[in-house]
Amino acid sequence: MEIFLLKNIDNPESHRIQVYQQTGGYEQLKKALSMKPEDIIQEVKNSGLRGRGGAGFPTGMKWDFASRDPKLPKYLVCNADEGEPGTFKDRPILEKNPHLLIEGMVISAYALKAERGYIYLRGEYPHAKVVLEEAIREAYESGFLGQDILGSGFSFDLSVHQGAGAYICGEETALIDSLEGRRGQPRIKPPFPVNVGAWGMPTVVNNVETLSNLPLIIKIGAEEYKKIGNPECPGPKLYCVSGMVERPGVYELPMGTTLKEIIYEHCGGIKGGGQLKAVIPGGISTPVLTPDKIDVQMDFVSLPKVGSMLGSGAVMVFDESVCLVRVCWRAIRFFEHESCGKCTPCREGVGWMRTVLERIESGFGRKGDIELLQDIASNITGKTFCPLGDGAAGVVLNFIRNFPEEFDYHIQNKKCMVEA
Amino acid sequence: MIELTIDGKRIEAEKGMTILEVAKANNIYIPHLCWDRRLKPYGGCRLCLVEVEGQRKLMAACSTPADNGMVIHTDTPNLQKARRTVLELLLVHHPLDCPVCDKAGECRLQDLAYKYGPSESRFYAERKHDPEATSALIERNPNRCILCGRCVRVCWEHQGVGAINFIGRGFKTKISPAFEETLDCEFCGQCVDACPVGALGAKPYKYRARAWFLESHDSICPYCSVGCTLTLDLREGRILRVRGVDGKGVNDGDLCGKGRFGFDFIYGDTRLKTPLVRKAGELVESTWEETLYYVANRLRDIKRQYGADSIGAIGSARAGIEDNYMLKKFMKEVIGSDNIDTSARLGYAWVLRALNDTYGINQNPIKLDSPIGKEVVLVLESDLTSTHPIFGLKFLEAKNEGTYLMVADPRKTKLARRSSKWIRIKPASGTVFLLGLINYAIREGAHLREEKEIEGIDGLIESVKPYTPEKVSELIGVDTEQFIEAASRFVNAETRLIALTVGAAENQKGYETVLAAANLLMLLGEGPDSLQVPSDYSNTLGAWLSGTRPTEGGKDLYEMLYNPGSLKALYVMGEDPLVTMPDGNTVKKTLEELEFLVVQDIRLSETAKLADVVLPAAAWSEKEGTFINSQGIPQPFPKVVSPQGDSVPDWQILRNLARVMEHDLGITELGKLREELSRIQTDRGQQRWRFSPVEVPSVAQTTTDYPIIMVTGNIMQHSGALSVMSKSLSHVLSDAFVQISPEDAERFGVKDGEFIKISSPLGEVFIKARVSDEIPEGMLFVPVHFAHARVNYLVSHSRLGNAHPTPVKIESTSTATPRR
Repeated sequence: MEIFLLKNIDNPESHRIQVYQQTGGYEQLKKALSMKPEDIIQEVKNSGLRGRGGAGFPTGMKWDFASRDPKLPKYLVCNADEGEPGTFKDRPILEKNPHLLIEGMVISAYALKAERGYIYLRGEYPHAKVVLEEAIREAYESGFLGQDILGSGFSFDLSVHQGAGAYICGEETALIDSLEGRRGQPRIKPPFPVNVGAWGMPTVVNNVETLSNLPLIIKIGAEEYKKIGNPECPGPKLYCVSGMVERPGVYELPMGTTLKEIIYEHCGGIKGGGQLKAVIPGGISTPVLTPDKIDVQMDFVSLPKVGSMLGSGAVMVFDESVCLVRVCWRAIRFFEHESCGKCTPCREGVGWMRTVLERIESGFGRKGDIELLQDIASNITGKTFCPLGDGAAGVVLNFIRNFPEEFDYHIQNKKCMVEA
Repeated sequence: MIELTIDGKRIEAEKGMTILEVAKANNIYIPHLCWDRRLKPYGGCRLCLVEVEGQRKLMAACSTPADNGMVIHTDTPNLQKARRTVLELLLVHHPLDCPVCDKAGECRLQDLAYKYGPSESRFYAERKHDPEATSALIERNPNRCILCGRCVRVCWEHQGVGAINFIGRGFKTKISPAFEETLDCEFCGQCVDACPVGALGAKPYKYRARAWFLESHDSICPYCSVGCTLTLDLREGRILRVRGVDGKGVNDGDLCGKGRFGFDFIYGDTRLKTPLVRKAGELVESTWEETLYYVANRLRDIKRQYGADSIGAIGSARAGIEDNYMLKKFMKEVIGSDNIDTSARLGYAWVLRALNDTYGINQNPIKLDSPIGKEVVLVLESDLTSTHPIFGLKFLEAKNEGTYLMVADPRKTKLARRSSKWIRIKPASGTVFLLGLINYAIREGAHLREEKEIEGIDGLIESVKPYTPEKVSELIGVDTEQFIEAASRFVNAETRLIALTVGAAENQKGYETVLAAANLLMLLGEGPDSLQVPSDYSNTLGAWLSGTRPTEGGKDLYEMLYNPGSLKALYVMGEDPLVTMPDGNTVKKTLEELEFLVVQDIRLSETAKLADVVLPAAAWSEKEGTFINSQGIPQPFPKVVSPQGDSVPDWQILRNLARVMEHDLGITELGKLREELSRIQTDRGQQRWRFSPVEVPSVAQTTTDYPIIMVTGNIMQHSGALSVMSKSLSHVLSDAFVQISPEDAERFGVKDGEFIKISSPLGEVFIKARVSDEIPEGMLFVPVHFAHARVNYLVSHSRLGNAHPTPVKIESTSTATPRR
């Protein structure tokens, strides 16, 4: 497969507009501006592109909803609040290939008739901010942003809005709250942002990677695009692999590449020839998999069949040297820290799970603690306001379900299995 | 209509209602903590979870719209388990200090814990140890907070203030003013009523009583003319607090700071407890018997010597209709004089006059929810959320529901801040603004839209000719484009409303303003319902309707107060003209030239200090009475506490005085009085439209000597005389001040907080300056009700009822200190 999203990535000047244009950059924008906006939306629908942020919602459908809403103005927001632990797939685009994102956003905005766009950038990506702002300046200078883009009559303004470091602001409604200058907390849905979003207007929030797919769809057309990877959810996909592998990093592969291929071929297998113990396929919120399931295809339809999700495509690999109770505790500590405080089960419950996990991990676990954890977790699942609490409870439930012996060992022996 | 099933019951509901609303309407109980009828659903507490058949997840009833065919279960073992867990989690950190918590006994968390909660918790945790935060009237105990956010949301969404918000994240979240500073807001106290637990409390009520010892009575607020229902909580014969209760009264649970905290004026230090008679130049305590005989003799003597027409009376916009009616009856039957009036003469009377001159009607009661659903609402130079706070809330609500709220005001009022469009006009240029709108409407051909021709159209067209958009925008001080945009919005709307206040305390609007507004609305085919001008005080309208005004050619307030020497004796009931009425010098001169001045009041007012006899009256809640609110609704209020000292209800004083003067007024008890009152016919009158062109609108003119315009008015915490007696309200604001713009402060060398000298041709006063960007350059704003400030001495009165803004000069009193 030809590399598209990470093209030029090895060129130190890849973030420059000259480099981008030398390799065909902004050509797709010219093509798109000659198309009718409705036709672009139809093309995206036909392509089967699904959102790369985690939920995998069909992008064309989202656009369709927004474009049917008669309210104006409309807003296009790029969700670059890449905060899911283990996820760093958007970062190379933001830092190395910003013009791909900008081109994708202008095309999308044209299709949606949005005249104002924002890149909501993760607070912890200060370098990306510098790069993006420079890229936006270059794009304005070259007439790809601003008034009357390339003489088409279409105008689009774009700016970077930097988050203040809250995981919850990756959730689209909390992101919009934050963008409006409020405290980032998820809003009640419905109404959905496509109808009532930023400042009450129709707003499309798409992930960096999703928007970066747009130039490719315009370039090769929906039919060709569908041939990449799994036809049910096609396209190139960025997998970011971390943990105990020889070559961790971001890999652009066709959607549906198997987990096994990613770990053992692209990443060179387990570090130091160790034994695989567990793998999280799509960021910390997605259920952990045991080694027997790594033949699964990494896409939106195959992973649910083995009880997990693609999420952001952040593969985290654990070998025999890793204590999974510790991993679980560390993950819950993250969720506790990031819980926004809006709803009771998440605010109070996640903190409690962390306390119980902490005592198990540090050798003070009591009999019945596992049942207690399961009870709290199951009373958080499905009862919180947004999926953050579900994610936290899911981590606990899945780790206990898949690796009960590790938890038991901790409680009985007051110490870690791995060190023994 | 949709149909759904809740707990096996088939229920019909309106589309758009949430499950919780449907359940509430059908008396099905679903527990909740963060839901509030007035606020947008929040979905935070997660107690209202219900099972919806076919849905994998439990749904939050407060934020899930009810849908056709839904089958809902509100009480299953699964739900009980979920609710128990939520309560268990809430109680993990909630301090169990119920024995010292004022909320105990009426705490929602306590109630729910009894209903669902396990008596033991599986968790043990360190509690929170945040210090209690205190402020003028509201105490916050962050440790008890369950983060339902009702206070935050009621403050921002409903009150339009936003004084508090969440700070921090997750478990460490807490509610606080910005940067954890001391709470400094308008102190409406809505957050206190909204708090389901004991995290927020009214400071005056702290540690005063256990909830279950309180006895409650509903009453009517004595402050503004909205006429909110107050729920008074008493213990041992003393009012300890006031609450707004959902579903009660015209306010439906909402209250402002005056209503909630201002009740303690009845316990003020300056209350009169015995009659006072001036002997050898000093007011000395006396008995009722001696005093009444003295008054009777003096009145008789004056009547004999100068005739009945030399005696006048001033009634009260704060006393009940019974009291005012009795005063009128006393004057008519005992004295034989028609010289009687109230402060309505200076404000509301002009409103009625203007309505009569245009729509041909005698009354125009407002409707509280009139702004709701209108396409455009124009609020003209009126701080409605301060003067009529609960009426003001309706404007915010309308705005939230999509109304285009246009505010034309030089001051950055709350409504201006929350408006769709704020037009910062020059002070007192509201009338000109309206004339500009009329001119614009005629240009747009609005007068041709209506089929029927209204009398006087030619005169109107002629009269507004000079007020072209260019001219008007220059006069009011805004861009022509901005004016045209606003005018077009207003003129071309489907439905519209103009709201303003006209009152004795205000000097930037008057008769002509209402006239212009009515002309404009008639031109656009709108009836009097589109013009909402509330009466000032709790019983301004009641005093008017009960006939407390000259009805047979007697002297009105102007003639009585601004014509020294025309009266020999004056009987003042519940009014303090020396403080609340303009042109204090003339008023003082008139009062000093009287041979006999009787003041009947609840406290020793400034006017009372000049009196020959001072009679102590029972205050609101110490007597029964009836107020007629600005909607025209008569609302009785009960007696719940004993009168202070020897004070007696106003109407009884007059009855007794009549008896001493050997006149039987035929009224022995309240029932009899009310029966007579009920016979008074008041009707709105037939509408008969005609245009009444505004002759010469006064635009505030400054001169080289008096280069800045002073506007007077009421503020949020104080209005008139009662509020300054309230200790609680004085905690928020106890001193007179003048607001000055930063530009003028710079220009005149005024520093924030220093005393400045303000002088007008009528006199000079010294007041503390507050530099504020709420005020534009070239304007001062001064609240009038602090007696010691004597602001009213600077303001001229206007017999034409016109706007009469006061040009003044200001001087810093501190000599410039050298910079170090």
